[in-house]
Amino acid sequence: MIDSELHPYVESIAREARRPVSTDRAARERIMAAVRAEPVPVRPRHVWQRVFEPRSLHLSPASTTLIAAGLVGIGVFVGTFAHNRDVRSSGGPSQMAVVPQSQLPVSDSTVKFVFVAPQAGKVSVVGDFNGWDSTKTPMVREPNGGVWTVDLPLSAGRHLYSFVVDGAWSADPSAPLAPDDGFGHANSVKLVRGGSAL
Amino acid sequence: MSQFLSVLRHRRFPVSLAAVAFALLGALPAAAQDSDPLTKLDPNSRNTIELLVDSASTLGLPADYLRSTALQGVALKVDGKRIVDAVRKKFSLLKTAYATLGPVGGEELKAAASVLYAGAKPAQLTPFKARQKDRNDLDAFVVWADLVTRGVPSEEASSAITKLWQDGASDATFNGLWNSVQSDILKGLNPGAALQSRIRETPERQPGNKVTPP
Repeated sequence: MIDSELHPYVESIAREARRPVSTDRAARERIMAAVRAEPVPVRPRHVWQRVFEPRSLHLSPASTTLIAAGLVGIGVFVGTFAHNRDVRSSGGPSQMAVVPQSQLPVSDSTVKFVFVAPQAGKVSVVGDFNGWDSTKTPMVREPNGGVWTVDLPLSAGRHLYSFVVDGAWSADPSAPLAPDDGFGHANSVKLVRGGSAL
Repeated sequence: MSQFLSVLRHRRFPVSLAAVAFALLGALPAAAQDSDPLTKLDPNSRNTIELLVDSASTLGLPADYLRSTALQGVALKVDGKRIVDAVRKKFSLLKTAYATLGPVGGEELKAAASVLYAGAKPAQLTPFKARQKDRNDLDAFVVWADLVTRGVPSEEASSAITKLWQDGASDATFNGLWNSVQSDILKGLNPGAALQSRIRETPERQPGNKVTPP
């Protein structure tokens, strides 16, 4: 439809509508102030709508750098944690490529550690299997008497260990001793052969 | 600066992200320190130990033996220099054991190094180089190191264990010998005398019971 086809009455209305409206500056300010004062209508939304609703973020270069640094930090943290866990579980960065591993079976065996200490309040076992960390393998007092025990899965081979009785290190009186490493303490030795322990 | 702070004030979401990032970056060194006890050592000691561990790995020696020694030292709160000395000595003994015994298992190398640590001479390990397949000397080495640690003179322990090994003694024989000797020592007997007394009771030393090595 073109203008020439409009009814003259409609055309006069359209002409009036097209004519620019002139308002003075003060009136415009008043109107805009009134509009700004109006509260923005809030459309009730569900939580998931708010979460998934697309939005644009205005970030300064400094904020962007910080976020990037944070993400890198998280990556490094997770990587470091995973690496250390692997190192701990393997007992160190093992590269036994040249020397063949022991002729002993490589399967794990459960070994029962027993220590008699009726007066002790806390006993744990430390060794090359837990990084000599006295918090990792606490022993449990048997219901009757002062016998402390713990069951541990150990790989086949020769393991050095000690008991920590209320903070003091003590060798196992029922196991062979290994010479003092120069630290003022001789450890005990446990030989594990796939299905049994010495 | 004031403009930067103003930007931060008006961007609550990025600020919270930045705070999390800062917290994580701050926690990173602490977390790493917790996960590796060797970080408790001074940098020089730690670097030396890591170098020794890496060298052992490169040579195909059981590096976990060295790392475990260092971890034990840290757990006992021994100073870095003593830990480095112990790790260096063990590395040297592992190399000596390897040079003497050849390519045996890592566990046997550790046990042999322990015997050397107790005071045995490398030449005393030589008879253990020749062995039948599937026979390992772990029990012999463990008992040997224990006897010396309990006070049996090194020469006597070496002589007794080597003779038993050459006579084809079983693991049970070595364990039985250890059990009886340590029991005698605990009763107050002289360690050397206890060994001499008990060695005569082993099956391999009974008349007519000579065993061919397996």
